[in-house]
Amino acid sequence: MSKHENERKRTFLLITIPILALFICFNTIPLIRGAMYSFTNSRGFGSHDWVGLRNYIDLFSDARVGKSYLFTIKLAIVTTVVVNVLSLILALGLNSKIRAKGFFRGAYFLPNILGALVVGYIFNYFFTYIVPALADMTGMQGLSSSILSSPSKAWIGVMIVCAWQAIAMNTIIYISGLQTVPEDVYEAGGLDGATGWKQFKHLTFPLIIPFFSINMVLCVKNFLMVFDQIIALTKGGPAQSTESISYLIYNNGMSGGQFGFQSANAVVFFIVIVVISVAQMKFSSSKEEQL
Amino acid sequence: MKQTSTVGKSNKLVLVLLILGLSTIIFPLYMTVVIAFKQPSEMTNSISGILSLPKVWSLQNFREAMEVTDFWNSLKNSLLISGLTVGFSILIHSIMGYTLGRNKSSKFYNFVYLFIVSGMFVPFAILMMPLAKQTAEMGLANWFGVILLYIVFYMPMNIMLYSGYLTNIPLALEEAARVDGASTWLTYWKIIFPIMKPMHATVAVITALAVWNDVMTPLIIMAGSSENTLPLAQLNFQSQFGTNYNLAFASYLLSLIPILVFYLICQKQILNGVVNGAVK
Amino acid sequence: MKRKGLRSLLPAVCLTALASAAWGCGDASDGKIEVEIVQYKPEAANYFKTVEEAFNASHDNIHLTISSPNDAMAILKTRFIREDYPDIIGIGGDINYSYFVDADILADISDYEGMQDVNEGYLDIAEALELVPVDGTYILPYAANAAGVLYNREMFEEHGWQIPETWEELTALCDEIAAEGILPFYFGFKDTWTCLAPWNAMAVELAPADTTKQVNKGQTTFTDEYSELAEKYMALLPYGPDDPFAYNYNDACTAFARGESAMYPIGSYAAPQILSVNPDLKIDSFVMPASDEKEGRTLNSGIDLGFCVTKDCKNKEAAYEVLNFLYEDDTLQKYIDAQTSVPCKKGNFELSSLLDGMTEFIESGNMTDYQDHYYPSEMSVDALLQTFLIEQDQDAFLRNFDTSWQRYNRDIIRMVQEYEAAHGSAE
Repeated sequence: MSKHENERKRTFLLITIPILALFICFNTIPLIRGAMYSFTNSRGFGSHDWVGLRNYIDLFSDARVGKSYLFTIKLAIVTTVVVNVLSLILALGLNSKIRAKGFFRGAYFLPNILGALVVGYIFNYFFTYIVPALADMTGMQGLSSSILSSPSKAWIGVMIVCAWQAIAMNTIIYISGLQTVPEDVYEAGGLDGATGWKQFKHLTFPLIIPFFSINMVLCVKNFLMVFDQIIALTKGGPAQSTESISYLIYNNGMSGGQFGFQSANAVVFFIVIVVISVAQMKFSSSKEEQL
Repeated sequence: MKQTSTVGKSNKLVLVLLILGLSTIIFPLYMTVVIAFKQPSEMTNSISGILSLPKVWSLQNFREAMEVTDFWNSLKNSLLISGLTVGFSILIHSIMGYTLGRNKSSKFYNFVYLFIVSGMFVPFAILMMPLAKQTAEMGLANWFGVILLYIVFYMPMNIMLYSGYLTNIPLALEEAARVDGASTWLTYWKIIFPIMKPMHATVAVITALAVWNDVMTPLIIMAGSSENTLPLAQLNFQSQFGTNYNLAFASYLLSLIPILVFYLICQKQILNGVVNGAVK
Repeated sequence: MKRKGLRSLLPAVCLTALASAAWGCGDASDGKIEVEIVQYKPEAANYFKTVEEAFNASHDNIHLTISSPNDAMAILKTRFIREDYPDIIGIGGDINYSYFVDADILADISDYEGMQDVNEGYLDIAEALELVPVDGTYILPYAANAAGVLYNREMFEEHGWQIPETWEELTALCDEIAAEGILPFYFGFKDTWTCLAPWNAMAVELAPADTTKQVNKGQTTFTDEYSELAEKYMALLPYGPDDPFAYNYNDACTAFARGESAMYPIGSYAAPQILSVNPDLKIDSFVMPASDEKEGRTLNSGIDLGFCVTKDCKNKEAAYEVLNFLYEDDTLQKYIDAQTSVPCKKGNFELSSLLDGMTEFIESGNMTDYQDHYYPSEMSVDALLQTFLIEQDQDAFLRNFDTSWQRYNRDIIRMVQEYEAAHGSAE
């Protein structure tokens, strides 16, 4: 047994070391190199000066940065809830015994593949022309002008598009989770009279909790880092109300000349997401153990 | 008897709901197809105008789009990069996920797990410049460097997926093999790897899709080389002062097909590999 | 057991092996001098492809490659950081040019003989873009664009409307048009950058050309210089569509092309997009009148594309040879035709009829650069303008402009003031 244990340990170590090295080489080292820029006034090219902690001090007094954090966090929370509820329902539906299952699964996957340009154009059109026209017909005053032109409502448009695109991927993960639920669990449950909501709550859901927590983490991460949908839909407007953190980092740091400052922003942002996600994972793994 | 009838009813309900939900997908798809066939002069801001069918159903836009993007060449590059990334991801990430998933009690492996998973949260913008420099220094400013980076970028998410999947695969399976004297390495490839087939398919879909649509990495890493991937070539349709939506939509429809086919193949695997029999 | 452990290394080994195999290609020169151009206007890609072919067909000793990537600025910056400089870069005369000059990436090309043929107005504009005065010339201005008001010529002729020359005439005209039930202006303010077009066009008459420089020197504030401009900009809004922030650039181009408005305040660069929707539309343009006097009017025009030779360029003579080719009248004329732009070279060029209303200004060299060419892009003045137009709070806007300016330009301001302290007294 101990010989086996040793062999097992050695194999695991020999697997881990090269892969970890690869990861460190192309993720950790560039991250550290990038973080160095956060102590400079670099524009991304040319010479630069060391400015100490100036960028970090500025960061906490920059209203625009603060606003972008508020917007991004609000968007991430709401979208995560919406996406997980809808994609769990969708996964259960697509996993049930229905006709044309393959067709539905294919169709519901489509939003994920349409390029950002197409999605941006169609939803811009939808919000700018179609929704107001429908609202006029049905007499709904609140929607008679484009929600994308209103600083207080534009985030809802962004949320809808993010959810629309993300549901497919989360559904796939839920479906593959549902495959690990053995048939006999249902059979046993069926005998106990557990059907519908009860069956889901007591039998199915506990078994797919690992997938639920993966989806939660991925969602929170994806929506905190939202970028493509912002570019496609609002480019940060109107009145800078939909500037996400990633948008600011890219737009001002890469395209603009604020490379050093936005590097500091990226470092802080990285720490924030890691803290949120690790807390999330700790929380859900403690839940898993309970069950 | 009673049970089957309720199942039948609820399935009909599910079907109706699914069809209703489908409208949110059919409508944008319809717009995409219609615009892809229209001429720029048919574009208007009126709703009836945009929803109307094109005057002529001609493949001219598709032909032109293929020419502008150098379609076959870009497709070849995209397929190469996506294919190799997916292949390597499944091999490398699954075994890493297995290693980390089976050692959750070890402080070291737990740390490695969190360390790698937290790599998922690094904003790409902060990596861009250093990576551009580093890959150039290492002679990796080419499609191979792009693949290598993808393997690293998607490692956190895939490891998370694999080790999550493992929690539902009982240890007993491996122990049985071990009693027969098989090494850990062999046990993995002979027993665990095949069992994770649904997860391989899931990982393949997610990774392939992310790679297929990605613009930034090839843009930054392969900058200055004449090789294009499809999304890079598609950038040609848009500029600040003018976008040819008709050509662009035609091109996006074309590039949608390979990945859709790939997904349809994979989703069968997601279902076929049900662990049922093997578990417990 | 060791062997098995080693097998886990296999993928890693494979990777490295493949890496070295993939490396080492890419040397295709057969004794010719290679010259590479990266230019930032993807919409001119076709033109540059023909230039590349024509050049290579007529030159045996030099091989020219021109790439016109999208998001060229990101590509250029990436290549600069890995010290992989193209020989020639084609960029606009904006803040990025200022940064590149400051970063010491570009070579002095004042010894290039073609410089003598450049319209002086554009050389002055290029020089003004330097953050602090630097000796030498770093850009060969190639083509310019002009911003003003595009108008529907047939609609104007039909109603007998006159081209306005003062702010009063402009507002009177707008009232007249509106009285006929036609929308005077279309705006596509959902795309924030379009907010800058009327702003720039009016600024040339209402604010000093070197406003930003004066502010950097601490001599004035934006609140002082821009208040009339902001007020007049707000006054334009009622002449546009009800909710201009709902429409993007593309919507606005389509709407103007379909005759939904009589005028569209945007640059000449919008013409191809408009004509793609309605090829039969007759468009003309006029210089945006913003002040009440007919004297001292000037056209808003800046360098849209210029060529810079990088310091790293191995063979400057070959690069000049390429510039010569690009600067030939015939080559330039083709560019102007394709892009409806204005040549930066002196001489007889045929301008698009679209620019009829501006020709007088162009020929006499009476032009002033865009204000926004001096704005750092990360300050997002376009977004500030959009916010201002939505909230209509002029004081808050100008106050914000001043404080943001100080924040985003801190290092430049320090540089300017150090320069002033060192040189100011000497001059």
